[in-house]
Amino acid sequence: MHHWMFNCREVTRMVSESLDRRLPLHQRMGIRVHLFMCKFCSRYRKQLLLLRAVMQRYTESDGSVDISESLSPTAKNRMKHVLSHHEDGDHRH
Amino acid sequence: MRRVKKEPINMNEPQKKQHSRAIDPELWVDRYGDYLYAFAQSRLVDRTTAEDVVQETFLSALNSMKNFKGRSSERTWLTSILKHKILDHFRKRQREKTPNDLGVPQDNLQQSFDDKGHWKKSPSKWDTNPKKLLEQKEFLRVLHTCLEELSGRVARTFVLREIEGLSTDEICKVLNISATNCWVILYRARMLLRRCLELNWFDTSPDGAS
Repeated sequence: MHHWMFNCREVTRMVSESLDRRLPLHQRMGIRVHLFMCKFCSRYRKQLLLLRAVMQRYTESDGSVDISESLSPTAKNRMKHVLSHHEDGDHRH
Repeated sequence: MRRVKKEPINMNEPQKKQHSRAIDPELWVDRYGDYLYAFAQSRLVDRTTAEDVVQETFLSALNSMKNFKGRSSERTWLTSILKHKILDHFRKRQREKTPNDLGVPQDNLQQSFDDKGHWKKSPSKWDTNPKKLLEQKEFLRVLHTCLEELSGRVARTFVLREIEGLSTDEICKVLNISATNCWVILYRARMLLRRCLELNWFDTSPDGAS
């Protein structure tokens, strides 16, 4: 039994974990051997890296603001009201 | 004939006024309200809660106005307050919710692999250019929908890791979970998002898969 031979399920979990911490040597070796032979898990790895890159830019892109709803006029008025009353010396909050 | 408004000009007065206008809290709502609201929404805060955290942000900005030195822009200052409010909200939610999706991530993930641990449906080839993807409004919409489909605990962990860029240790402190639990939840989030994006974008869009 080769303890460094991992199946796709195990490799996907470890590839994900490798994005969050440094894995032990035998796992890194195991991943490398597996990815060399398995094109699906190689794709999966690339997809996770893409996902990370996309998430990092996602909130900075103006597009993410465009697709969100904006504050309703009611909400805005309520906030202004709260703020102005607060200014008047209402410090009960 | 157009009339030209004449106003007395005082060289010192307007400057002073401008300074006080720069921190007029009611103007904040019009200027930054939508931005802050979108910011909260992109962190998967639901709409009602997003309104609440934005309002709390304005109030706490009002209380700490003295601390605003004008070194950063008003928007940056308000955003940093909002970030803290969102973390507080995450903490609260984490405590409130019954941990129904705790520790049993296999159920959903198992579907992806057969008994031998091989892919049941193999991942397709994606066009992996993040810049090009984000230029497409439709992709952003799909991504947003996929993110919204993550359950609360999974979503919070993923947002803290991939949007806020917190380390495992930091996430564990905020959400009060173990490191192992954190990694398993992140694995689950990535698997779910991967599949959702593949189904709804890469396998359907003509220029999605290459």
